[in-house]
Amino acid sequence: MQQHLTEEQLIAHYYHDADGASAEEHLASCGECRARFETLRDVLALVDQLPIPERSDAYGEEMWTRLRWKLGSERRRSRVWGTIAAIAAALALAFIGGILWHARTQQSVPAQQSTVAHAAQPTPVQQAAIESASKDRLLLVVVSDHLDSSERMLLELSNADAKQPLDVSSESKRAGELVASNRIYRQTAVRRGETRIASLLSDLEPVLVELSHAGSTLSPDEVAALQKRIDSKGLLFKVRVVSAQVGGHEAPATPPRKGMDSL
Amino acid sequence: MTRIESKPSGMEITTDLAVVSRARSGDADAFRQLVERHSRTTFRVAYRMTGNEHDADDVVQETFLRAYRQLRHFEERANFSTWLHRITVNCSLDLLRARGRADRHYGGDPESAELAGAGRTEPQQDRLLMSADLQKHVAAAMERLSSNERTAFVLRHFEGMPVEEIGKTLGIQVNAAKHTIFRAVRKLRESLEPFVRSTPCNNT
Repeated sequence: MQQHLTEEQLIAHYYHDADGASAEEHLASCGECRARFETLRDVLALVDQLPIPERSDAYGEEMWTRLRWKLGSERRRSRVWGTIAAIAAALALAFIGGILWHARTQQSVPAQQSTVAHAAQPTPVQQAAIESASKDRLLLVVVSDHLDSSERMLLELSNADAKQPLDVSSESKRAGELVASNRIYRQTAVRRGETRIASLLSDLEPVLVELSHAGSTLSPDEVAALQKRIDSKGLLFKVRVVSAQVGGHEAPATPPRKGMDSL
Repeated sequence: MTRIESKPSGMEITTDLAVVSRARSGDADAFRQLVERHSRTTFRVAYRMTGNEHDADDVVQETFLRAYRQLRHFEERANFSTWLHRITVNCSLDLLRARGRADRHYGGDPESAELAGAGRTEPQQDRLLMSADLQKHVAAAMERLSSNERTAFVLRHFEGMPVEEIGKTLGIQVNAAKHTIFRAVRKLRESLEPFVRSTPCNNT
């Protein structure tokens, strides 16, 4: 008794897949299967006829008009961040320079200078408080810059297409630099009792380390794993919140919306 | 089987690459050229995927925004159209998955679609051949597919994408992709068979 073709074989034959290659001969000799195949073909021909709304020749121009504003906004934001980063870097250098200068001064100031009139200087307690406040402000400035850089990197990763390899050669190098500063800021934050910042930097560090070790390309699985890690910890949102708070801005009210924002 | 876009010629690829190269160096006018050149094709892919005009417009916009952000990752030996096509598919898939299918209407009301389309261009020959009633049935049959089934079907049927590639796009094994396509076609056949012929097409 002749074995009829399955629907899967008919579909494979329709799409010229390898699985359907042997169907041709059977169809030539089996009227029942031939009728089923013709029905399938007619059904798919119906689907082919479903119209697509046409867009005019001006559609590209209209789309560009819509995009131009958004792209302009992205470029402006990028320039602003670049300026902020440059200022923060300068402040960070000043901060480090100040610490070094302070350490040298402490070592070299002769004991006789302590005879200078105390009335003109703050008391040791006041001096410590001033220095502490100053260091706190500088810490917030440099951490804010650090978080901005990290946020941009996390955003790029989150938006990356997890279905194809991702070139991360420049990000990997940048992550290596961020790991070093992340450790310093985390330790400083711990010492100064900034537990919120310390905790965030602690969450951020493994992602930066992983990326810094990634080499030049991430496989789709690695991209997906990193995205899952960022997403599961709500890392991007936490970075935005703390960044806004230490930068003196208003924190975002809600976590980022899933969907088109993540495209 | 139809293709919604013919493959670009070598000259077009060269031209695209030259423009992409300029766009990568920050030339906004070059990116504008890419948008103007590929918007309509991108819309057609997005519409096939989402089944909704407004969603398709949104997908086109998001596709170009994402392409702009990732332009530096584009490999010059690749075909820009193919690269953009993949982004469009991913954007559409993300949109479908994020929104779910509760409020989806494949093609919407055919009469409204006719009115919306009429102001834009001349009606296509296909549109004249297919009655509004039949369009409604075909649209409803497409609507009954899950987002994965519709994506797999659209990529196989309209885009001619190999099953292996469809598996990669959906993040599933090749066999699973194959069965997703089978399920989609079977559902369409079950829904639309009464409209094509009286011959029964039973499963064997």
